[in-house]
Amino acid sequence: MSFLEYVDRNSDRIAFLTVQHVEVVLLSVAIAAVIGVGLGLATERAPRVRRALLAVTGTLLTIPSFALFGLLIPVLGLGLAPTVVTLTVYAVFPILRNTVTGLETVDPAVIDASRGMGLGSRQRLMLVRLPLAWPVILNGIRVATIMVVAIAAIGAAVRGPGLGELIFRGLSRIGGANAFNEAMSGVAGVVLVALTLDLLFVLIGRLTTPRGLHD
Amino acid sequence: MSAADTVTVEAGAPVRGWALPAIAVTLVAGMFGYLHTAHLDSIEARLLATDEILARTVEHVRLVAASTAAVIVIAVPLGVLLTRRRARLLAAPVLALANAGQAIPSIGVLVLLAILFDVGFAMAVIALVAYAALPVLRNTMIGLRQVDRSVIDAGRGMGMSPLQVLLKIELPLAVPVMIAGIRIALILNVGVATLATYTNAGGLGSLIESGIVFNRMPVLMTGSVLTVALALLVDWLAGLTEQVLRPRGL
Amino acid sequence: MTDPTPSTPPPDVMIRLEGLAKRYPGQSADAVSALSMDIRRGEFVVFVGPSGCGKTTTLRMINRLVEPSAGRIWIDGEDVTDVDPDRLRRRIGYVIQQIGLIPHMTVAQNVGLVPRLLGWDKARIRDRVDELLDLVGLDPAVFRDRYPKQLSGGQQQRVGVARALAGDPPVMLMDEPFGAIDPITRDRLQDEFLKLQERIRKTIVFVTHDIDEALKLGDRIAIFGEGSRLAQFATPLEILSAPADDYVRSFVGSGAAIRRLGLLRVADIPGGGTPPSDGAVRVTEDHTVYAALEKMLESGTDRMVVGGNGRGERSLTLRDLLLAAARAKGEPR
Repeated sequence: MSFLEYVDRNSDRIAFLTVQHVEVVLLSVAIAAVIGVGLGLATERAPRVRRALLAVTGTLLTIPSFALFGLLIPVLGLGLAPTVVTLTVYAVFPILRNTVTGLETVDPAVIDASRGMGLGSRQRLMLVRLPLAWPVILNGIRVATIMVVAIAAIGAAVRGPGLGELIFRGLSRIGGANAFNEAMSGVAGVVLVALTLDLLFVLIGRLTTPRGLHD
Repeated sequence: MSAADTVTVEAGAPVRGWALPAIAVTLVAGMFGYLHTAHLDSIEARLLATDEILARTVEHVRLVAASTAAVIVIAVPLGVLLTRRRARLLAAPVLALANAGQAIPSIGVLVLLAILFDVGFAMAVIALVAYAALPVLRNTMIGLRQVDRSVIDAGRGMGMSPLQVLLKIELPLAVPVMIAGIRIALILNVGVATLATYTNAGGLGSLIESGIVFNRMPVLMTGSVLTVALALLVDWLAGLTEQVLRPRGL
Repeated sequence: MTDPTPSTPPPDVMIRLEGLAKRYPGQSADAVSALSMDIRRGEFVVFVGPSGCGKTTTLRMINRLVEPSAGRIWIDGEDVTDVDPDRLRRRIGYVIQQIGLIPHMTVAQNVGLVPRLLGWDKARIRDRVDELLDLVGLDPAVFRDRYPKQLSGGQQQRVGVARALAGDPPVMLMDEPFGAIDPITRDRLQDEFLKLQERIRKTIVFVTHDIDEALKLGDRIAIFGEGSRLAQFATPLEILSAPADDYVRSFVGSGAAIRRLGLLRVADIPGGGTPPSDGAVRVTEDHTVYAALEKMLESGTDRMVVGGNGRGERSLTLRDLLLAAARAKGEPR
């Protein structure tokens, strides 16, 4: 059976797993965005805490995801929970880092002028700093999403949801007729999800970047 | 795999000092302390014998060392070639491909190669190399490209040959970015090597896998903790190397 | 404010600084030490001095962007040393060298921001924005919906000035507003701003390091020296005619007597005979003495006929001009 034939015959299952994959990725990134942006804002007046958080979350990135899955199993069991937690842990760093960078790189003259006009710190944040930092923060969310799409495939090793299941099933039938097709459909699905979400973020970026910031 | 692959030119915020090795050593010591006192059943005792643990660790390190060495030997010269004048047309598509390659899950590369060719150590190394070559290739190209044109022109103006310009000016100035890429490759390899157990290439991942399959938490935890410790240690060593190799004055 | 305390400034004083000082934490010397001055309603005061003399710090203490370490600030008869700084700043226009227009807001949104914070309704904000853009010489129909990026530096600073005027503040603080603009545009903006000030009569505190800009714009000039010492606080003419000390003399530089001619107007020169019939150049009472002299030198004559301003015609000689200029000892313009 050719690859395309395989995909055609199993389209329901592949579609189901693709949707699952997207869901678990978006759920994790959403949680990570709340944490990352939240921590970025909460540590505005605590630069040392902020640096420590960046160092810790950055170091977490170097930990192999399979090991992190492993560490979470005794606490959370198998399946959705350790997958979401692991993906969230990885997604926090790019979002936190870009939130910090975005807020820190707003033109000081704009901030000074805003203060001089009588904007309080909340107003400066909501009216000036966040809108200006938004494109950078959004890019952090985009990077986190693409990264997490690939890691989510490993989640299948701990019975997590998503397209990784096809890859591992192909592996378990090694030497069998459809092993390649199965694994390949999983890999292709993951790549397709990544590229689609990437495109989606470009679109969101276009739509939500304030007009005055476009070139 | 580890998640470091999309942290492109710069590798995470470096943690200075002795925090990382201290944590790593504490983790390992704590683990062995626990194994000595814990009551282990026969499966656990077999998988967690000191010899076994040592063998898995050595397998892991060998996978990482072999693949990282191969990555450097292949991707650095390739990156240099692709930034030469004659290859200018190739550079952009290769860079785009290298970026797009990030979207491929590491487990997919490993499994597809195993299905198409073979399982075992050699094929796992090939998978690791294929996967980790991308950041090194990309950072080599970016590092060479960002060298100030005026410095290169000055070198040419002094009568240096293109090769001399490459060796004396371009490469030294590109070293920090290149090393950052190699560091990412190293971290990636430590991570992807944990998955090599699925293609019969051993490594610390096999402890994690056995722990899951046999539902033995001590085995699972030992594998995970040792992997974490190894990753922290490798990252720390890579950071140190990066500092030592960085040309002074940059 | 019904029963003014003894230290409340008289009504013609818009800004009073009293023993104002700033020392930054960890510094051994004051950035500004014990500065006192009164700035009158509608007055254009320029702070000038070398960098590090505390002029900008003083300016930023007036709207409390820098909190004073000691001393008090009165604005319009009210002690504002301890009031809510955000509310205070909405009553004070603020213009800076880097302009600081908010890049994701249109010109209209930038100018309308303070009125929006003050709770004005939309129609009123819109009218105000158009009025202000007109005032600073930008056609509202063209510029209202542009973004800062789409403006030249000079246009951006016009918007900056319009934005500072939006809430109709009685006081304007300007920190080297024309410092980053090319010399030709700067000259034009200065001229326009002087004309604007004649109409709006704000109390302005203006910081510059350029003594010529100070002499051109200021009703009074405060020359700051090392360690925030206030070396002289006087009219441009007084500073040129009677510098308080060697520091002021050297800061003003050479050619003080000649530069004085640019500050005197023909109207300031008394006397004059009946107009002769031939060979004289014609000037108005509004010409500066400098411009009148230039006209005489160009046409090679030593007489001029002054006309206009309803005084009837009179004639002045080269000698009248020079004597008057030499005598001018700092009478107000």
